[in-house]
Amino acid sequence: MKSVRNHLMFILPLLAILLGIEFYLVFDRTTRTYEQSLKENYAMLLVATRPTKLAELKAKNDHIASLERIRREQIVEEAAKGLDKESKKEILKALPYFYNVGLDSYLGTEEIARIKKSLEALPYVKRVETFGSSYGSAYRLFSFIKLLLKFFIGFMAVVSLLLIVKQMEIWRYAHQERMQVMEIFGAPLMLRSGVLFRIAFVDAVLATMITTGIFMYVKFSWANESGIALLKEKQDSLFVFSDMWILLAVALGIVFVAVFSVVWSSTKGVKE
Amino acid sequence: MSTVIRAQNLTLAYDHGKKEIIKNASFDIHKGDFVFITGPSGSGKSTLLKSLYGEIRPKEGSLNVGGVDMTRVSARKLQELRKHLGIIFQDYKLINEWTVAKNVVLPLMIAGYSMDVQQAQAQRLLKHVKLAEHADRYPLELSGGEQQRVGVARALSKNPVVILADEPTGNLDEYSSNVIWDLLENACKQLQTTVLVVTHKMPTVFSLPYRHFIIEGRGVYEVR
Repeated sequence: MKSVRNHLMFILPLLAILLGIEFYLVFDRTTRTYEQSLKENYAMLLVATRPTKLAELKAKNDHIASLERIRREQIVEEAAKGLDKESKKEILKALPYFYNVGLDSYLGTEEIARIKKSLEALPYVKRVETFGSSYGSAYRLFSFIKLLLKFFIGFMAVVSLLLIVKQMEIWRYAHQERMQVMEIFGAPLMLRSGVLFRIAFVDAVLATMITTGIFMYVKFSWANESGIALLKEKQDSLFVFSDMWILLAVALGIVFVAVFSVVWSSTKGVKE
Repeated sequence: MSTVIRAQNLTLAYDHGKKEIIKNASFDIHKGDFVFITGPSGSGKSTLLKSLYGEIRPKEGSLNVGGVDMTRVSARKLQELRKHLGIIFQDYKLINEWTVAKNVVLPLMIAGYSMDVQQAQAQRLLKHVKLAEHADRYPLELSGGEQQRVGVARALSKNPVVILADEPTGNLDEYSSNVIWDLLENACKQLQTTVLVVTHKMPTVFSLPYRHFIIEGRGVYEVR
């Protein structure tokens, strides 16, 4: 019972750290596709007095990735219903050229404003519409959620590390005498701390397996049953197998640093 | 007669050399010697013993144990030396979560002997200290005298060059003490093991015909 409790006292904070890391990995992966879709769906509207080409605009700003001409005939057809052909021709002649301008990445509002300014500096560009308010609010909300999550995970990691340090002190008291007796009889460091390393290794593997299990359940079972469309849509991003190695590496890193700190503090050495 | 321990003008101190416990002590201890070290409480008996297994480094002078210069011994060399020493403590220092048999073979385990050798040696030694039937029990299930016999068996398990015993009968009744003295005497006589015993039990010291050092006023004096 005591042994189970000792394991749990170590596994639980480790689990909190691993869950935090996996949450961040999943969030980063799912929002990367969201970010991608925001980027892909976003376009500025450019109004020009003459036809233009991508290279001309790209020369003004490297972030401009695509240029798509909006068919004016369709606009005239919609706007001038009931008018005769000649009138429609006149309207078409008077109309400027409209383009959708795509960007290469998801940019901040300041960068968008800079692009707008550089494009409006072209003499044949009449107007650039960035749809700034909706784009900006989506971007700010997105950045805020990301920052909040990072902060929360960081906070959780600090608290968990403190709990692990506390547990290490308990381990130190529990194993100190045995390690010191072994040291007196000439046992090398790895032999006298072998038990601790074994416990730590088992706990690290267990914590990794539990975290993997939770996210596998979320991916393959809960996401399907939840009825949340977004989760179903992003199901592939909820857990990927390579995450397990990241989690295991982090868990092993933490436990070995923790065990080494116990072992070193229990080594009496030679008094001068 | 080969010298196993040699101290020359040895000074031992605590508190980073500020508090001197033993000053300018010189003595030789040979293979097969049985030596008692006595003195008042706090005189430095245990400190002297600790310096012999490298827990305290000499402040001045020289100290050689089994060919190892203890004034400049490295951690690795010290580990090697300790594998050839048998150490017995007043408070036994057994590992309570290990069985008696496992405690006995700790020095063999450290030296990397096979399980078969360890088991055979555990059986032989526990029989020798009359605890064969307690092999699978845990130290806290035994009496103080029995625990100390386990401690003696552990000290003997690797046929050490030197046995260092710090008040080995300090917590024991007369009967148990006599058993321990017999075991140590036998080791000395039959195996030619050098035995150094720190004790305050003067009747025992006077009743046995062995070398006797007294530590007094920071000096180490051989009185017999």
